[in-house]
Amino acid sequence: MKNKANQITLIYILSTLFLAIVSYKLAKHLPYLTTFTFNFVKDLFFITITGLFFRYILSKNDEKNSEVNKNLRQTNDKLKESNDKYDIVAKATSDTIWDWKIPEDHITWNKGIKEIFGYSQNQVGHNSRWWFDNIHPEDSIKMSIKLYSFLEQKTEKWQDQYRFKCSDGSYKYVLDRGFIIKDENGKAIRMIGTIQDITKQKEEENRLKLLETVFTEARDAIIITEAISNDNQVPKIVFANPAFNRMSGYEHSEVIGKSLNSFMGKNSDLHEIEKLTDSIKNRKECFLEIILYKKDQSEYWVRLSFIPVYNVEHDLSHWISIQRDITEEKKLEKEKEILIRELTQNNKDLKQFSYITSHNLRAPLSNLMGLLNLIEDFTIEDEELKEILAGFKMSTHFLNNTINDLAKVITIKDSTSIQNEELLIRDVFKNILNQLQIQLDDIKPQLNIDYGTITKINTNKAYFESIFINLLTNSLKYRSKNRDLTIDIIITEEENNTIKIIFKDNGIGIDLERNKNKVFGLYQRFHDYPDSKGLGLFLVKSQIETMGGNISIQSEVDKGTEFTLTFKS
Amino acid sequence: MLEIIMCIDDDPITLMLFKKVVQKASFAKDIINAINGQQAISLINTINNNPNQEKKPEIIFLDLNMPIMGGWEFIDLFNTSNYQNLKNTKIVILTSTIDPEDIKKSKSYPNVIEFLPKPITVEMLNDLKAKI
Repeated sequence: MKNKANQITLIYILSTLFLAIVSYKLAKHLPYLTTFTFNFVKDLFFITITGLFFRYILSKNDEKNSEVNKNLRQTNDKLKESNDKYDIVAKATSDTIWDWKIPEDHITWNKGIKEIFGYSQNQVGHNSRWWFDNIHPEDSIKMSIKLYSFLEQKTEKWQDQYRFKCSDGSYKYVLDRGFIIKDENGKAIRMIGTIQDITKQKEEENRLKLLETVFTEARDAIIITEAISNDNQVPKIVFANPAFNRMSGYEHSEVIGKSLNSFMGKNSDLHEIEKLTDSIKNRKECFLEIILYKKDQSEYWVRLSFIPVYNVEHDLSHWISIQRDITEEKKLEKEKEILIRELTQNNKDLKQFSYITSHNLRAPLSNLMGLLNLIEDFTIEDEELKEILAGFKMSTHFLNNTINDLAKVITIKDSTSIQNEELLIRDVFKNILNQLQIQLDDIKPQLNIDYGTITKINTNKAYFESIFINLLTNSLKYRSKNRDLTIDIIITEEENNTIKIIFKDNGIGIDLERNKNKVFGLYQRFHDYPDSKGLGLFLVKSQIETMGGNISIQSEVDKGTEFTLTFKS
Repeated sequence: MLEIIMCIDDDPITLMLFKKVVQKASFAKDIINAINGQQAISLINTINNNPNQEKKPEIIFLDLNMPIMGGWEFIDLFNTSNYQNLKNTKIVILTSTIDPEDIKKSKSYPNVIEFLPKPITVEMLNDLKAKI
């Protein structure tokens, strides 16, 4: 360009000099023209010539410049496009790309290091040390051995899987692939690689491995069969787990292709087999218990399920059957059945025995009672005989009461369902008090009954009366000698159709500290009274529980006793 | 007062007691005793076969637990067509059993009108009198 400018200037000076000389010569030979006119014409000519010349030079230059400009723009566009493409690819692959200048040990990372692993610009290290430090300790030795043997050019391509640490400290499974650039001496000077996040694939792989252990490690036998069979049998087995082989005694290869029917034999319940065949025909799941036969023809009981499996197109593809060996369970069940049968029979025998015993005791006792009734019609003069007969009568009555109570215990335990009726609660208590009239008149306790809002109760009359006669008799019997007897009965309605009755006296009480667990027991006596039989509270508890109710006790020695009874109304 | 009743019981004391209470309550003029079902049946047969015997027991008091032939067996036999002419005779079970099954069973016989626990008393007989 510089040369060209000199060239143009030189041409211009030479041509204008030539023009000046030509004009001078002409002026000499043209005397008819005035000097003035000549000069003017010469200047005009000169200006026109130089003007044209400049225009030529400038337009030439312009042309060149615009061409250069155009080329420049094209190059720029190409560069930009290439950059864009790189960005798009980097984004699309979502891989992390690294570029390692080996002699300087300098690595540059692309955006992936931030987007996938979460490292911000200033957290990223730029040497190989940072890279290796972020590899999971369990993977780093294996990885570095493979990488260095690659760098020593023993291998062509390099790829490896390892766990790479994220900025939050968690690890991601990655697939790292790289290639190498060598100098003219074949020495590795640069390495470029891409890191792909394969955590999801790896997790899925681990999940499948775990699922597979269900199949291989399960104690229950699992088999997979074909979808259908052509011979009206259970479809053929295509897969069986080790537990099935253990259970059946067959090798895996012997099992494949067999139908479950070949494991059945003479003691396999035909009804159950039919159930299985039917549900296979109807493509319904099915559960059954059946005897199967091992390879050595010994029997074993299984509880098995047979469940249809459908593929993505909703076609039946397989059946899965899970089987559990319940031989031991069945054995126990059988033993239990026998035991229950024996117990039921024993229980029945015992009950019968107690009825007979009761009958045999009651028969002569009733005679005694009848005879005593007859004696009452006679007037006995002999005082001693009178005394003897009175003792005889007392003992007979006591024996009769005991036997009657025992008889009640036996029958309560026997009555599985009892008849309830709706009763007016005031009438029930009136009746109870009537039955105890003699004792009440004798002792004259202060008796307060608070019926609250209750008018009716749905209960078994005989049991209800027996319970309160027992409680009242106890209160009368175990009253304190130091104070007048007070008995409070408070009746209230509770939630869930329950009636609560509190029965409270100020008698001698029971030492609950010592007798907590025995209060309602059979033959438990807490006071040395001649006519206590240890039956009353046991009877009360049995009766109230037979009616679906409940009883609890609070008591303090020499203060009194409080019972809380609940009845289902 | 009833003309004639029957009492079937293997226990002689019960029979004696029964007689005395019946007398005291003026319940019946005459009592036929039998010590088991078998004897009772043959006594009834004798009555049936004797054309002179007009009077038939109006109530039979029956114990359940007896040797040779018990109460239930007796009722089953008595209820057959052989004793059609005694169809108006009522049966009262008088026993010391407490087996609920027996009480339940007694309700299945229409001619068993009462199930009484021993011992028999004047009050029981009076109630019974009112009932029939």
